[in-house]
Amino acid sequence: MALNKAVLPDANRNLEQLYEEFVTRARALGTEVYRVPNLAKARELVGKLVQEMGVRKVALSESPLVTALDLAAAVAGAGAEVTGGNPRERAEAADLGISSFEMAIAETGTLVQDATEINRRLVSMLPPAHLALVSTNRLVGTLQEAINNLAARGQIPGYLAFVSGPSRTADIERVLTIGVHGPGKVVVIFIDEGGDAGE
Amino acid sequence: MSKAALRQATREALANTNVCSALGKFADNYVIAREQAYRHKDFEGLRREVARIKREAAERMEELAAQFTREATRRGATVFRAATAQDAREYIARLARSRGIKTIVKSKSMASEEIHLNKYLKEQGLDAVETDLGEWIIQLACQRPSHMVMPAIHMSRNEVAEIFSREIKKPVEPEISSMVQLARRELRRKFLSSWMGISGANIAVAETGTIVMVTNEGNGRLTTTLPPVHVIIVGLEKLVPCFTDIAPILEVLPRSATAQHITTYVTMITGTVPAVDPDGNYHEKKELHIILLDNGRTRMAADPVFKEALQCVRCAACLNVCPIYQLVGGVFGDVYTGGIGTVLTAFFTDPQKAQQVQNLCLGCGRCRDYCSGNIDLPALISELRRRTVEREGLGYVEKVIFERVLVNRRLFHRLLKTASRLQKPFARGGKIRHLPLFLSGLTEGRTLPAIADIPFRDRVGTLPRPDRATGRVAIFSGCLIDFVYPGIGESVAKVLAALGFEIVHPEQQTCCGYPAKQAGLTNIFAELARQNIAAFAGIDAGHILTACPTCAEALKFLYPELLAGDPVWSKRARALAEKVTDFSSFVFAHREKLVTFMIPLKKKVTYHDSCHLKRRLRVTGEPRQLLIDAGAELVEMTPADLCCGFGGSYSIKFPELSRSVLDRKLQAVLGSGAEVVALDCPGCQMQIGGGMDRQNPRVQVMHTAEILARCLAGTGRVQNG
Ligand code: SF4
Ligand code: SF4
Repeated sequence: MALNKAVLPDANRNLEQLYEEFVTRARALGTEVYRVPNLAKARELVGKLVQEMGVRKVALSESPLVTALDLAAAVAGAGAEVTGGNPRERAEAADLGISSFEMAIAETGTLVQDATEINRRLVSMLPPAHLALVSTNRLVGTLQEAINNLAARGQIPGYLAFVSGPSRTADIERVLTIGVHGPGKVVVIFIDEGGDAGE
Repeated sequence: MSKAALRQATREALANTNVCSALGKFADNYVIAREQAYRHKDFEGLRREVARIKREAAERMEELAAQFTREATRRGATVFRAATAQDAREYIARLARSRGIKTIVKSKSMASEEIHLNKYLKEQGLDAVETDLGEWIIQLACQRPSHMVMPAIHMSRNEVAEIFSREIKKPVEPEISSMVQLARRELRRKFLSSWMGISGANIAVAETGTIVMVTNEGNGRLTTTLPPVHVIIVGLEKLVPCFTDIAPILEVLPRSATAQHITTYVTMITGTVPAVDPDGNYHEKKELHIILLDNGRTRMAADPVFKEALQCVRCAACLNVCPIYQLVGGVFGDVYTGGIGTVLTAFFTDPQKAQQVQNLCLGCGRCRDYCSGNIDLPALISELRRRTVEREGLGYVEKVIFERVLVNRRLFHRLLKTASRLQKPFARGGKIRHLPLFLSGLTEGRTLPAIADIPFRDRVGTLPRPDRATGRVAIFSGCLIDFVYPGIGESVAKVLAALGFEIVHPEQQTCCGYPAKQAGLTNIFAELARQNIAAFAGIDAGHILTACPTCAEALKFLYPELLAGDPVWSKRARALAEKVTDFSSFVFAHREKLVTFMIPLKKKVTYHDSCHLKRRLRVTGEPRQLLIDAGAELVEMTPADLCCGFGGSYSIKFPELSRSVLDRKLQAVLGSGAEVVALDCPGCQMQIGGGMDRQNPRVQVMHTAEILARCLAGTGRVQNG
């Protein structure tokens, strides 16, 4: 496959700048953004958010990051339950879905996920709220960089999801309304030291 | 569709204040929001890149289709090449039947609209539900989308509430957020129970077999995730060679469509992926069918002119900025609407209808400036018209006017002089207020200027001259200045005299031919071009100046294009074109000399950008600076560059539309609080002047030349105003 033009993230743009840019764009879209230094803090924050949001049922999609955080325990600790049943039922029954993302784009406040695995897609689409986890060092500057990165990897994943904020529509009288078919609430936690799990 | 039916449809649309105000309001906000979305982005560079990618892809359409098929198949998809709409429809119905599927969810796809899929599936006993909120509303209301991106933009919340009440058989309050929640609930049930999902695509990447979809609501993601069978309908024009080609298209599409930096969801699907069906069974690889739709696209790609339309990314910016679309919405087009819709209608859905609809384009050129695919839409529409006329010929009256009268300068000018005498009973104070019977639509809401007693060409002998000439300028007056507004011509002469230029007015010059081009008569346009080129050939003057931007465009750009293939005339056309300049640019270049003579105007002036001057000659700052030099207090109206609705014969063919466009312009003018509207085009002057005369006669409408000449009062022999 002739995938060329591999471009590494622009080394000159430091991570702090990228993060600031992401925060500005994402908040403008209605995304809530948090940042923690390490896995322990991330786990703590997830518990706190689950409590604050008054969430009763949580759907998890497995990933190294989710496992490393031992989220099932964190959710239980926050007084919520992890849903059961087949993958559809698990996601449909939940008030909150949690999944991890592979990349974040500063310029547009976008999260990028390889959503080939069905659980990831269900968990990030069916519940009314979604909590996204991503390693801070996976921030890239622009959409162009993100696409070049993906192209450079060789095989393109079966299902790539770019998510920028909550689901929205303006189809009735051009009035912006949040939360049509997808989550009406999107929260992202950037983890500075996620170890290999963030990759 | 007949001419009368189209005119009737436009009348009804104009009467539907809902459509007009929703579209108009959106349009005004759109321009500002879009501007912000493109901040720090190089739109020109991006769209050139998009145009290049799509142009090259269209040239290699067949090769890319084969490559895409190979790659997508390798990743587990089934690719079907549908030559016609019928092929595509049948494939889908057959697939559903063979899998025993009854319920289908659809996410928005213009290609499915194009092939009238919903109607067909219904006839086949299949239940296909639209899941994009706007599309669902349209489907429940049994209508068709009026906008590519915002299908239900023409409906009010009350109408939507009524439609929803009927659907769920319970009263629904016209409250937007609760109606959105209602849609979420109702459609979620459909999503969870459907066995087939049908979606469209925004980009198809040949090298990887990837399909890219942009959506905001999330219904696209659900359609492509929940049902275990997924069908994608994608037009061949969506193919691009490389995965990295996605980036520039994604940069322009959301920005131009809805002024978003990016849509909420961008989904890229490469081959089959796992799914869990409604019964809870896990499928390692779900069924993925990709229909590559031709339906006129290879024919378009093979057309030397219309292949340009394949550069379109369907952002709908051309609709959003179109003064006609803003008024009549979906009436301007068929399945696809607006300027691009007209062209696509001709190739994809209904060539007969396109023949009428193409006439709705004013030729204002605004869409061209905003097009993400860098397409010259007005030129394509004009080519549609040319081909129609070539095939079907002209009506009798038009035939006589163009083929007998316009090409014969003496006859044409004699008739105009006769008309000047005949109009006397209707004209008072130089204006026509009432025209007999069938022409009354023309004067309703505005007055028309009368044809002048003495045309400009007969006043040349009495024009002001400089005391000591430092140069010579040849004047191309154009029909409107020559016969309707000779005063503008006199003002031009006066300003030039003040700058030290002596003028010549070649007697043999005639109509620039633009109306013939507009009517689709290339031959006659070329004949008039040759007559004018010959008229100016032996004239000893450094510049050819015109105070009509339409004439300037014709002489400067269109003649060389038109005669490019002619070994003798192309050279002469280029020689002429080089000398041509519009009034304001010329005076601007010499303005130091002028400033010393001027008596300050001390009035509030707003400037109207004429389409041909701004969009073809790219002149906007020069006249404004001249007005400031003349002591005017310049106040901008918004939007300053919206067409006035004149469009030459347009105001005769669609008087109601022309007048409605004019009304928006008049509102903009009045909103600025100006005492004078300055402009550089006699056509706009006729339109805006006539409208203002009825609305508020105290607001003066003047050509920049007239304003400057007035500020030079006392320095020449002719007084104006
Ligand atoms: S040229 Fe003007 S009237 Fe014609 S389609 Fe473009 S914007 Fe609309
Ligand atoms: S013609 Fe241009 S502006 Fe119109 S939809 Fe296509 S790309 Fe967009």
